[in-house]
Amino acid sequence: MKSLAALSSERRERRVDAIVSYSLLVLSAGFACFPFIFMLSTSFKSEAEALSLPVRWIPKQFTLQAYSEMWTLKPFALYFWNSIVVSGVTAVLSTVVGALAGYGFSRFQFRGRTSLLAFFLATQMISGVLVIGPYFQILAALELYNTLTGLIIAYVTICLPFAAWMSKGYFDSIPKELDEAGLVDGASRLQIFVRIICPIAVPGTVSTLLFAFLLAWQDLLWALCLVSIDEKRTVTLAVAFLVGEFVIQWPMLTAASLIGSLPTILLYLFLQRFYVEGLARGAVKG
Amino acid sequence: MRSGHAWHDRHLGYFFVLPATLMLAAVLIFPAFITLKASVTPEGGSGWNVTLAHYQKAFRDPVLLQTFKNTVAFVAWSLAGHFALGLGLALALNQALPGQTFFRLVALIPWTIPDVVAGILFRWVLNPIHGAMNPLIRMVLPSFPAEFQWLSSPTLAFPSVIIANVWRGYPLVMVMLLAGLMAIPRELYEAAAVDGAGKLRRFFHITLPGLSTIIIIALALDMVWEFRRFALVVAMTGGGPGTLTEVLSTLVYKTYFQFFTFEYASAMAILMSVVLFILSLPYIILVGRKQ
Repeated sequence: MKSLAALSSERRERRVDAIVSYSLLVLSAGFACFPFIFMLSTSFKSEAEALSLPVRWIPKQFTLQAYSEMWTLKPFALYFWNSIVVSGVTAVLSTVVGALAGYGFSRFQFRGRTSLLAFFLATQMISGVLVIGPYFQILAALELYNTLTGLIIAYVTICLPFAAWMSKGYFDSIPKELDEAGLVDGASRLQIFVRIICPIAVPGTVSTLLFAFLLAWQDLLWALCLVSIDEKRTVTLAVAFLVGEFVIQWPMLTAASLIGSLPTILLYLFLQRFYVEGLARGAVKG
Repeated sequence: MRSGHAWHDRHLGYFFVLPATLMLAAVLIFPAFITLKASVTPEGGSGWNVTLAHYQKAFRDPVLLQTFKNTVAFVAWSLAGHFALGLGLALALNQALPGQTFFRLVALIPWTIPDVVAGILFRWVLNPIHGAMNPLIRMVLPSFPAEFQWLSSPTLAFPSVIIANVWRGYPLVMVMLLAGLMAIPRELYEAAAVDGAGKLRRFFHITLPGLSTIIIIALALDMVWEFRRFALVVAMTGGGPGTLTEVLSTLVYKTYFQFFTFEYASAMAILMSVVLFILSLPYIILVGRKQ
């Protein structure tokens, strides 16, 4: 039986906790939002208003001009198409090859398995700048410089280690008895993988697919080094070039940045749980 | 029957991991080897002449040294910011207060946008004339210069980039710590409260020990990521003014593709990768031990 004094002190403590928490939450919500809101507001301004003073948070004249001009003044439809092709193909290829490897790591004991796993993990830590120079030379020699294929090969490889580790995690959580039942029924290992295990691993596979997509979508370093012509630019690269132009058209730049961020905003909010689980298990996507 | 399968399985395992391994070898390991070779090849030279001149140059290069210091400061401050904000918010969000779902979503926003866009965002907000930052500060501090040039300022350009990077990266640490907090059993806190343990004691004796593994994982990973951060810096300052906000990844990129000194860039890339490898060991060991 608690005394009244203890009860009231506990309640006071809880109220202090709530006040401190709310102040922190509100302050950091402001910090998180304010650059984003300013950007949103700019994207709805005309060129003239974005450059007029004083700086306004709410556009005096709300316009969608920037959102319509980005498709005509710059070929953003093409940039989007490039990004979708590159990221889509990357996602499918790296998920399939990564799932094969993940299944191999999860179900088989073979010589060198541990070191190979460690090697896959270590390659996730490599920075692209270690290989970007030679990779550029090799692509140029193969006439794959300035092609989407060159980008895809690079992205698939970066995504592979994390796709393998991530799917290994999902396969580990599927009971081995299912494989054994398949073997008893006379199915081959590949049949078991395709017909029994993969269907169960669909949720995990989908998240691997989406993460690979996001990784390719957001990349700047490889696109910057492997693409020099306008027709092959991805959205991310195109946006980075807009900011480098002598006269920056801020409404169009902010509008394009926002549209280009839509896939990542939606997918990350949707995927956050998978992401955190994967990180603790070795699936690192930085 | 079992042993027959075991023999078979040993070979099948290779079959499953082979495609991924071959691709990694072709696209990462082979070019990495070329980088290593280029780093010990005399400038413009070919064949197997070996020289350590590029490494000797690297250790005396004031720009590289400055950039290395920048990178260390960038990583250290970013980590400190991510951890402080991430832990504070995770603790606040873990109390199941009304409206926490909303605050959680809002706090996640910076994480969901690409690095390049984060850089652009802050470049625009900090624009001396048309950006939102200067008017905002002048509302509180009227004596603040009207057209303060954040990103050309020798003193404040670098802190600005770090703040942008703190903004970009804290949500991930927050989400990881929040997952860790939710995994700590409530009964522990209740038992401690019955024993009369105060808030601070509960924090240091239950919360922190319960979070220690996830804190180490989060910071170990974050360290690697911040060390190789590229796009945010490129979009926000491009390394300038001068080399004040240059980090290693942007410097290596420039040395390859703007200064065209391939061999020297390779030496830098190798040195950077050695440091990066050492930094990533804690995470590799932690995850490896779990398997």
